[in-house]
Amino acid sequence: MGICRCKAQGTGHRAQGTGHRAQGTGHREQRTENREKTGYKVNTFKDKREHAKRMRIKPPLGGFRQKNHEKLIILDVMKIERILIANRGEIAVRIMKTAKLMKIETVVVKTAVEPNAMYLSAADVIFDNTEDNSEIPVFLNIEKLIAIALETKANAIHPGYGFLAENAYFAQKCIDNKLIFIGPSPDAIYKMGNKTIARKIAMASGIPMAMGSEGNIANEGEAILIAEKIGYPVIIKAASGGGGRGMRIVRKAEEMEKLFIIASKEAEKSFNDPSVFVEKYIENPKHIEFQILGDTKGNVIHLGERECSIQRKHQKLLEEAPSGALDEKLRKKMGNMAVQIAKAVDYHSAGTVEFLLDSQKNFYFMEMNTRIQVEHPVTEVITGLDLIEQQIRIADGEELKFKQGDIKLNGWAIECRINAEDVQAGFAPAPGKIESLHLPSDPCVRVDTGVHSGSSIVASYDSMIAKLIVRGKDRKDALKNCKMALDKVWIKGTKTTLPFFRMLVRHQKFVDGSFTTSFIEKDLEKYYFNSEYEEMLAAWLATKLFVEENLNDDSINVNFEHGKVMSPWLLNKRINQF
Amino acid sequence: MGNEKLRIKKLYALSSENRKFSFSLPLKHSIKIGKREYEVKLKADEKYGTYILWKNRKYPVEILRSSQNKYEILFNDISYNFTVETPFSLQRMKVLNSKQGKIEKEIIKAPMPGKIIDVLVREGSTVLKGEPLVILEAMKMQNEILSPVNGMIEKVMAKPNTNVMKDDLLVQIKL
Repeated sequence: MGICRCKAQGTGHRAQGTGHRAQGTGHREQRTENREKTGYKVNTFKDKREHAKRMRIKPPLGGFRQKNHEKLIILDVMKIERILIANRGEIAVRIMKTAKLMKIETVVVKTAVEPNAMYLSAADVIFDNTEDNSEIPVFLNIEKLIAIALETKANAIHPGYGFLAENAYFAQKCIDNKLIFIGPSPDAIYKMGNKTIARKIAMASGIPMAMGSEGNIANEGEAILIAEKIGYPVIIKAASGGGGRGMRIVRKAEEMEKLFIIASKEAEKSFNDPSVFVEKYIENPKHIEFQILGDTKGNVIHLGERECSIQRKHQKLLEEAPSGALDEKLRKKMGNMAVQIAKAVDYHSAGTVEFLLDSQKNFYFMEMNTRIQVEHPVTEVITGLDLIEQQIRIADGEELKFKQGDIKLNGWAIECRINAEDVQAGFAPAPGKIESLHLPSDPCVRVDTGVHSGSSIVASYDSMIAKLIVRGKDRKDALKNCKMALDKVWIKGTKTTLPFFRMLVRHQKFVDGSFTTSFIEKDLEKYYFNSEYEEMLAAWLATKLFVEENLNDDSINVNFEHGKVMSPWLLNKRINQF
Repeated sequence: MGNEKLRIKKLYALSSENRKFSFSLPLKHSIKIGKREYEVKLKADEKYGTYILWKNRKYPVEILRSSQNKYEILFNDISYNFTVETPFSLQRMKVLNSKQGKIEKEIIKAPMPGKIIDVLVREGSTVLKGEPLVILEAMKMQNEILSPVNGMIEKVMAKPNTNVMKDDLLVQIKL
């Protein structure tokens, strides 16, 4: 890390600043050139102040002035200069947003599946991989990604979530090729990724856990023996699992054989590892997870919890932070446990420790996710931190700038995952083209998305359209804002989870906070909300169409040739015919 | 023919859940709630596509399917199925329905596209409500397709290791 001087002087700042960096490090000509092209400007007083904040330039005594006289400022240069984003969609866009603020360049990969995706337009460099006809998607192809990083002169890789984000071998490969992996060490990924090893580590650290098998189990007979010891119901889980795959709840011995095979097969399919283990199934718990941050100097803190109990088949649909189920005392206790388990694997970067909380407020360690999570924005909203920035700084070798005591949780945040799914058909994926997309812009709403009007939700990837993140001064306020924001989202072209959230924000059990992970399966009769007149309006439309198509009465029907008033629907239909 | 049609005074939209909405003809562009009439406008523009404007709010609408008198309408992200009947056809339908009697079989269709992993029932075996029939893999998740009824397996159309589309027939159960 070099310390260099540069001038903060009006518009001249940019050219001088970058020029200086080039001199200071000696081998940055190429980069300076790129910067000239992509360009950023530090023009206004406000920009300058923001720029200083982001680049960690200490403001001179008395602060920046708008007058054009020279100031000495200190700037430490980051090692990370150009990041290959080994991902797509919303999270690729999200990472680039922060990288841009940090004046770090980004590389993304263009694939044949989504050659016009939104994430491509936000990048500095696009690697064209559309000719690749390998069977493995590029985002899962370790060798290829490393080669792309080297070819495009990226010196760091951000894996995002999903794909290779929790693949220890990928992280190791990055290191072997002198690429900075923006995430934890391969060792930590491996230990936490293998649920049986993670259980052992958690047990050794004194973290409360549901009773279960010591390690993996070989067959259904062994599973039945363990289940009889700890008592039904039990849950079979994939050792390398995540995202609800390879997981089955068993309520009696007769079901074990069938469900053991299903879980094991699913695990093999999804994670290339059929091994499973068994643990006591906690009935109707809340899913509470703690965001943690650790640096490479051994500091680990937590950023409070997220409540993720609204899930279906272990897939989260809505998350909020903080959780109404925790008080300060419990938050401290669980937070400390989360920090402890992270420290046990020398964890650095952002990570999440997941717990189940039962109705008596006993908590049990479930697993640790060694990546940035889909639901990270709710934590960002209430802590004011940028978690992607923290990941990048930590990967760069920086020490955490704050301690546990500095973390204050302000207000409430709710995230709705708006997916292309058919709520009326059991949340079946509904891929398709987004014909029109309008998202609310409101101070209390943040939208993270990777699509715009005209984008397609393709079946090969996840069904996410956008994350609607709503804040409020407390839960009640956030809920009110959320209800309002949901009505402002406009999506045409595919069915979405919007009607589900419209129902949720009106449901007594969700509003009072007493919901658990079984909420969707047990407490809901209807998965969607429609106001009392919506069906009537739809019926009116059906009747109108019938009249137009069948009752050839001139007073009702539209006459295209004679230039009478056209109904927009018919007009649309006719336009589409031509 | 035209005269006959003009004599129709009313149309009924029947929902798939058997709710009946009646509209008098000629069809008004308004709906009466209590004592007030509220204007309904069907509009379309480039920015929003087709929508209904009602009580100062825009609702996205799409016609998903229409054949004869059957309409599937997507209204504010929810789909509705209606059959539109005239007073005469409604009467005829009622008569036909009362003659038909009870439904005798249940046909299980694939709820989503995917691959059949396993078929757990055989023709001739009896099943109870809630018992798994078929394991269908979609988006890497294995889903058990459960029997919605008690009955006897009449026909098994699903074959292991084959791909199915949404609404493909899987199993036929005799009640």
